[in-house]
Parts: sequence; C-alpha cells; structure tokens
Amino acid sequence: MPSKRFDRARPFIALGAVVLAWILLPVVVKSFLQVSFFELQAPIQTTASYARDLQEYWAERTHSKNDLIEAGRELRHVYAGYEFQAQQTEALRAEISRLEQLLRLPSNPHYRYEPARVARRDFSGWWQQLVIRKGADFGIPAGAPVIYAGGVVGRVREVHAYTAVVDLVTSPSVRLAANIEEDSRPVSYQGGLNPALRPARGIVEYVPPDFFASAKNPKRLVTSGLGGVFPPGLTIGYITQLDASTDGLFKSGEVSLDPRLSELAEVTVLVPLQSE
Amino acid sequence: MDRRWLITFATTFLLWSALVQINHYLAPHGAYLFAGGLLVAFAPLRLGLRNGLIATLLIGLAVDALEPVPFGTHLVLFAAMHVILFHLRTRFPREEPIFGVVVALLANLALFLGLSFVLLGGHPASGVAWARLFVDLLWSQLFIVVVAPWFIAFQERALELGRVDLVEESRVTF
Repeated sequence: MPSKRFDRARPFIALGAVVLAWILLPVVVKSFLQVSFFELQAPIQTTASYARDLQEYWAERTHSKNDLIEAGRELRHVYAGYEFQAQQTEALRAEISRLEQLLRLPSNPHYRYEPARVARRDFSGWWQQLVIRKGADFGIPAGAPVIYAGGVVGRVREVHAYTAVVDLVTSPSVRLAANIEEDSRPVSYQGGLNPALRPARGIVEYVPPDFFASAKNPKRLVTSGLGGVFPPGLTIGYITQLDASTDGLFKSGEVSLDPRLSELAEVTVLVPLQSE
Repeated sequence: MDRRWLITFATTFLLWSALVQINHYLAPHGAYLFAGGLLVAFAPLRLGLRNGLIATLLIGLAVDALEPVPFGTHLVLFAAMHVILFHLRTRFPREEPIFGVVVALLANLALFLGLSFVLLGGHPASGVAWARLFVDLLWSQLFIVVVAPWFIAFQERALELGRVDLVEESRVTF
C-alpha cells in the first residue's frame, strides 16, 4: 500500500526536485543555459529573415523597366531635397560646435548609425519586442537607442553574437522622459496600450495642466534627451487625449503611435561614440 | 542519448519554431498566438515520466530563452502542467487523438492564465491588456483546435519511425 501511494506521489516529487534544483542552480549556469538556447535558435530566425529578403527580392524583380525608370526619377527628386537638407544640417552642426566652444558647454553625445534588418517581431499583450540581425559582431551595446524614419523604435535590451533584442516603445516595460513639442517641461511616456487588431498606443503622464490635446488637435511628443539614452527631439507619437489625473496637479492621457511600428523591416541603432 | 525524449523534443521544437514565424507575420495585425498547451500535451500523455519530463523541460528552456520573462518561468509552468497531466492520465482514454486536443486546449487555457497573472503585475493599463489577452486566447485556442490533430499524429509517426513502441512506453511509470 505505501509503495502504491509513493508511485502516485512520484511525479510530484519529481516536480519538487526540478523546482528545487532550478532554485539552487548557480546564476552562471542559468545565464549559460539562456545564452545557449538563444544562440541555438538564432540561426532559425535569421535564416527565415534572409528567406523573406530573398522573397522580396524576387517579387521586386517582377517589376517592369518602366516602373523602375519611374521609381528612379522619383528617387532623384527626393535625393536632391535631402542633399540640400544635408548641407543645412552640416552648417547647423558647425554653428552648434562654435557656440559650444564659445560658451564652454558640454557637447551632445555623438552616435554612429547602424542600420539593421528586423529578423523577428514578437508583439503580444504581455510584451512587444523585435530581434534585429546585428549584435555584438557590429559593436551594438545593450541600452542603445533604436530609431526609424518615423521616430523612436525602442531600446536594445539584449545583445547576442549576431542578433540583438529590442524592447519596442509600445512595450509596457519601456518608460521615457519626453517633452511636448516646443515646451521644455518634462513629461513621462510609457508603452502598454496594445489593443487587439488595432495599432498600439502609449500613455503620457505628469503633463502640466495648461496643455490641451485632442484627436483633432494632437500634440507631438518628442524625446527630451534627459537620461542620456535618446537624443532630444525624436518623435515618439502624438498626444490625442488629455484628462486631469486623480491628484489634480497634472494631466495624463493617450499617445497615438505610428502604425508603421508594427510593420518594421529595417531600423537604425544609434551606437554612442566615445567622446574625445 | 535516449531517442524518446530526443524525438519528442525535436518535433515540439519544430512546432515552436513555426509558431515564432507565424507570430512574426501576425504582429502587424495586432494578434498573437500562444500554444504552450500544445507544446506540453503529448509527452505526459504518451511517454514515461522521465523521458516526457526531459522533453518538456527542454522546450520550456527554449521558450524562456526567446521571451522577455524571468528565465525559468516557462520551465516551471510547463513542468507543473506536465506533472498534473501525467498524474491524471490513467483516468482518461489518453491514446484518443480527440482527448489529446481537449487536453491541449485545457492546458493552454491554464498556462495562458498563469502566465498572464505572473506578467501583468504593475501593468499601466491592465483593463486594455486583459481585453487584448482575451482575444489572443481565442485565436490561440482556435489555432490549437486546427493544428493539434495533425501535430499529435506527427509526433506519433516520428516516434514510430524512431522505433519507439508507444504502447509499451505508455505503461512506463518512470
């Protein structure tokens, strides 16, 4: 009889042993296991990503020559515009540098731009993350800001041999110091409003009570540069709703984010350069 | 190396890798599939405790490595689910594919809710998050209803090809 009872309890004893062994396992072993299991799966993710790139390439090969000539013409117009803007940016940079020297101000951090393809999107109600196809092999550090044409994408959380994991700005774990455009007072942004079958939104808090925003009159929310991770002035989203918070001192509301965030195929990692 | 847990882990890992790719394509549409119940259902119903648990622990580690949860969360949840299913398996016709589907659905529901309670603490908008999770759960259960019969048959066939006697295996208690 006791033997039969022991047989019935055996699975639970095994579970207890597994849980106990896991708790007692040194952190080094756990980290080794985590890295090993990630790197084991990394080739699958990157191969699938390269296969998608190849698929896209062959799809684009089907375009007619007329389409390509038309696209080339449009690109030339865009390029001319950007060339002019690049000259203006260069002049402004020189002016900033001159003023920094004149006023003995500490210079803004400089970045190297590292474009990277997205290998995997993983957007659930629990988390929102991307895996990009560049990692330690391109000198990408953990914590580096990630941007795209529309503004902020997120922050690098983990760096692996040739991939990196990015926490998206829509993730509830991402909090940023921000400014409302043309105002220097800091507000707080946090991701986390990810409804089903609709674009993600964010939450803005500690907004001064003299601000008003609505869907018809949205306010642009930009990075403040505080904290030193993101350079100032990058678009996070547009505040479309503001209500008085429970304490009555500030306002809080919703931030509409760019729908392109959920379809990203390429991003740029800002790798901080060592200051001289 | 034992073929039984190796084949079971390899087939489950294949499903997990496919699921990762499906979720990549679903991301722009605001949908997400979770199929932890399907990953964990076959081994406790058809294999002995040791081989089944090894396969389950390995797949738990594979999931933990990719997802932003404390490392070991899926491992412990999957192991607990494995043990519960193993304990209850003698009371039901576990060789029936339809029973496998029902077990996968119930296990998925339990794991999904367990994971949600673990991960949603301190969420800035838990109301919106629960609404999203409810819709994701619906999609996930539908996915399991469609995929589970094929996946269970696939695992059975893979073990047969590996010369594993499933009738003999299901009598093994440890």
